[in-house]
Parts: sequence; C-alpha cells; structure tokens
Amino acid sequence: MANKKKKKATLLPWCWYCEREFEDEKVLMQHQKAKHFKCRNCPRRLNTAGGLAVHVQQVHKLDPDRIDNALPGRDGYDVEIFGMEGIPAPDLADYRRRKEAELGLKLGTLTAPPAKRPRVENRVLSEAELRLALQQHKALMGASDASNPLQNAEATAVYNAAPTTYSVPPPPAPGPPVPLPGMLFAPGMPPPPGLPLPPFLPPPPFAPGMPLPPPGFGGPPPPMPPPSFVPAGGPPSLPPVMEMDFPDDATFSDERVYAPNSNYSNPPLKDGAVLIWTDANLSPEEKRSTEAWYKVTSAVISAIGFQMGEEMRGKKRARAEDFL
Amino acid sequence: MADQKEIELASPPFDSISSVTFSPTNPSHLLVGGWDASVRLYDVNANDQKSKYDHKAAVLSCCFGDATKAYSGGLDTWVREFDLERETTRVLGQHAESISRVVWIKDTNTLISGAWDRTLRLWDPRAQAPCTATHPQPERVYCMDAVGNTIVVGMAGRHIYIYDARKMGEPLQKRESSLKFMTRAVACMIDGKGFATSSVEGRIAVDYLDPSPEAQVKKYAFKCHRQTVDGVDHVWPVNALAFHPVHNTFASGGSDGTVSLWDHTAKKRLRQYPKFKDGVPALAFSADGTKLAVAVSYCWDDGNKPAAGVGKTAVLVRDVGDEAKPKVK
Repeated sequence: MANKKKKKATLLPWCWYCEREFEDEKVLMQHQKAKHFKCRNCPRRLNTAGGLAVHVQQVHKLDPDRIDNALPGRDGYDVEIFGMEGIPAPDLADYRRRKEAELGLKLGTLTAPPAKRPRVENRVLSEAELRLALQQHKALMGASDASNPLQNAEATAVYNAAPTTYSVPPPPAPGPPVPLPGMLFAPGMPPPPGLPLPPFLPPPPFAPGMPLPPPGFGGPPPPMPPPSFVPAGGPPSLPPVMEMDFPDDATFSDERVYAPNSNYSNPPLKDGAVLIWTDANLSPEEKRSTEAWYKVTSAVISAIGFQMGEEMRGKKRARAEDFL
Repeated sequence: MADQKEIELASPPFDSISSVTFSPTNPSHLLVGGWDASVRLYDVNANDQKSKYDHKAAVLSCCFGDATKAYSGGLDTWVREFDLERETTRVLGQHAESISRVVWIKDTNTLISGAWDRTLRLWDPRAQAPCTATHPQPERVYCMDAVGNTIVVGMAGRHIYIYDARKMGEPLQKRESSLKFMTRAVACMIDGKGFATSSVEGRIAVDYLDPSPEAQVKKYAFKCHRQTVDGVDHVWPVNALAFHPVHNTFASGGSDGTVSLWDHTAKKRLRQYPKFKDGVPALAFSADGTKLAVAVSYCWDDGNKPAAGVGKTAVLVRDVGDEAKPKVK
C-alpha cells in the first residue's frame, strides 16, 4: 500500500502523526515508537496506537489521552498506523500531491490544480484558527453516532475526487481556514465504530440527519432563547420570584433551555496573545451546564420541590437521605 | 522548606471540583463540592472523607454556616442545608436558575445565595419560611464573597455590586469591574478595606471599598496566569482567589494549573507553587491560615473533552508557613 503510488522521484517514508520524513521505514518505526507510541506513565514503548491504548487502559487503568506529538486531528487512537501502513488513503494522496508541488514535479494524473490546498503546518494556531478547528471537531464529534448512510457515502466519495472536496468553503472566520486533516478513511477500510465521519461537511448548520448536536456547540452565539425571552440588553427576563415559587412550567419545557440572553463582546487582545476562554457571554460553568450530561430536567427540579413541599407540611420522614 | 507538606485527599469527587471551603472553627474540616453532584466533608488531618451528600445535579458552591451546618447550591436550583453532626439534609428553597454561589454571613446568621436567574436570595435557616428576601440583580451572579457585613457580588457583564448585609435593599456601591473581561472570582480582604477580582483574561484587580479619590488611586490590576508557548502568549482564566485569614495576602489559582501567593500591599508575588497537573478551579485557606486547599481539575476551558474530569480530579492540602507572610523591609 505504501509503495503502490511511488513516483520515480522517490517519496520517502513519512510519519502520519507528525509529517516528518525518514530515510527508511525502519527509522520511521523507531521514530513512531519513541515519539508517538511511548507510554507517559512508564518507559514502555508500544508498536501501534491501539497497543498503546490497551496498555494504558489495562496496565495503568487510565483513559488513553491523545497521541503525543501528533498534528491536530491525527492524535486519535482510531487509526492504526504501523510505519507507512494504515495511513488513510486521502491523507496519503494529499501528502503526495503536496510533496510533488513542493518538489516542482508534474502533477501527473491529477486533474485539478492544487491551487489553495490547505497546508497543515506544525505551528501554534491562532485563536481564530483554533476556534474554527474546535468547531469542526465538535461537529465531527456530534456526528459520531449518526453513521448516516448518506454521509458515509459522501465520505467515501471524497476519496478520488480529492482536491475539490478539500476546498469546501469552511464557515467564514477571520484568518486562514484550517481544516482538520485526517480522519478520512479509504473506501475499503470500514470506519472504526464510533469514529466520526465525515469531516468536511460544512459544520455549523446541523444537518437534518444528525442527532442532537453537542450542547454548547456553536461558539459565541448563545443557545436559542425560547420565544418568551426579551431581546438582548433588555431588563432581567426572569421576574424576581418570591418565596416558595415553583418553577414556572411555561418557561421550562421538559428540556430546560438555558438562555442567559446577553450580548457582550471581549475587547481586543494584545497581538499574538491567545485567550483561552473566549466566550464573553457565558462562563465556563454556564457552558458546561448546558452539556447533556449535566442537564437537569424540570421534572427533577419539581420533584425536589414536591418532596420539600411535603416536608414543609410536616410529614416526618425517618431519613432525609431517603428521598434526596 | 523541609516542613512543607502537601497531602492529596483520598476519594476526591469523581468529576471536576467547583468549590472548596474550610470550616470556620475546625481547621481540619474541609467541604468540597463538585460536578459529580456531591458535597463531601473531609477531615484533612486524618485524610478521611467523613461524610457526603448528594444533589440531583452538579454542585457549584458550598459553604459552612456555623461549624455544624453546611449549605450548598448548584444546577438543580435548590439551596440545601446539611447537618454535619446528624447527617441529615434539608431543602431550604429554590432559585429559578442554577445557583452559582452561597455565602454565609456570620454576623447576621444569614445565608446569601446568588444565581444565574439574576437574583440574590437571603435565607434564615431557622425560620419557618427560610427565604427571607429576594433582590434582583442586573445580571447573572457569578461570584460573591463577604467579609464582616460587606458583600461583594461579581456578575456577568462586569457588574460589581457591593452590599451591606444589614441593609440589602439597596447596594452600597454599583461598580463596573476594573477588568475588561468576564469576572471569574472575587475575594474580600480580611481587613475589610477592599477586594480582589479576577477575570478570564489572566488578570487580577485590587480594589478598595472606600469610594474617596485618595483610596481609589491605590487600586491597580496586574497580569498573571499567562504562559508563553512557542512565542505565543497564552492567557488563562483566573478561577479562584482566597485571602489568607492572618496575613491578609492572597492566593490565586488559574486554569493554567498554577497557584500564586500575592502581597497586594507591596505589589509583589510571594510564591508560585509548582504547576499542578490540571487547572485550579477553587482555593481555600483554613480559618487559622495554616493550610491551603487546592482543587485540581479540568475547568472546561476547551469545552467537552473526552476523558476530561473523571479520575483526574484531586484535592491537595498544603501546609502554609511563612511564605504567605508579607516580607518586612
């Protein structure tokens, strides 16, 4: 597979994780063992990403983290790489084309010019780029359990149709677009279960086939406010509830929508600095609370209220913990 | 220093920690609230989890009342009281949205809760109807701290309101934060002269309560919790502030995983502790100032991350010696 498409000007073995070239595949494997498949918790080096994941889980009882020293998007455990083996075909093709362009070689059979092929650079990304990459990543993750046949079909179609698919316009954002490389699979290879496909569907508008998008996804604009909310900048939308009021069921449907309803923006940051928390309207806790895992339904909340109501009426219970 | 001791508490919360606080009387009792919906009481000397009680959803804040009572609130919007001796829980009442902070005012025996529903509520736990008052605020309450009867409330939109616990009807002062970015934490000086606030943009401001111009010229802000990686300045949120109850210096903890001690009068950093393995969401000094509790867990700065949180949280309790003392010239 590796040498199949080699040209006369030889394509040196390269590492899929960090796009470094090597004299021969032996050295490449040594590099991968040392740089990417080394366990953080002990001196052990494994041969493959899967091997490392199993090792970390079984020996150290830890959740495998990302693969060390890998390019963004290529730090997952789902692609089994061994030397040059296992590199997803689109990545291989893309890399080869870039190399050709770099060396000034004829582009050969390729029909479309590699006009603005996004380059993956091994540098620190700017804030906007990071945000974009994160968005795309989240869209990917959101699509993970969809395994929508239509999307899968499109994903496979990506291969061979190469350059055009790479130029699907990313959502407008300041700075050069940085698409996530990798995560594409050769048609023959079944995608590992749970791995998101496909990466280059324009992420933000939720595709109809997708399941619930990850809450909190979508960056700056806060989640859709329910219609009853007043526009941004208005007076506090929740009337001061007095004493023992229970939640108004009109504002809380079964899925409570947390809509803080503000419209702040951060002042410009000094050039070159990267702000870690960029949302000016939601605190990390607020963002986190919208996550499905942490969400509380109004049913739960009223249940607590109901129990408390009983308690207030003087019904004695043996242990408070029984119902809390 | 050889006597520097740091212990990691056994059985920490399963998910990120939101709040740590020491007992007002017993320097070995530590209350820890977390996103795993639990509030745990530890004896830090014995390194033992004494008791635990559960919410229906993540806990965002917990505090001690007197030494035998604890209060907490979080995403399930109810204020709870926990009797530490009898190990019983009681629900005091509710906010319309998640409760972000609960603070006990010793002098008036009042619990104050602040929430994302843009209100502060006052609770008298001994009363028949515990909720004694509701005070609307201009924005979501993010953080709050109190010293004596002075309460400083930090809100979204960079609002800072200062209240007197004895007359909560009207704020004493309405201010805009001295920092240009979202307020993350607020802590009051022990001498009651001022307070410190921190923002998501690696910066801490020291403000003074006295509104006179002479006092106000002393206010200042400084950068911290930043790190230059490959020539790029990374600016981390400063999640936690805590004043030392004896020396009146303060500690700050950021998502970068560092904790620093600052002398705000000399405008000097006294100490930076070695980097922790994850962000620092909460800090607390014990009442006698001999211990500093540092919560270490993921602070959601990158949103939902696989394998974040679970198994990676820790509560560390450090002995604090003279490093927190302001240097004498």
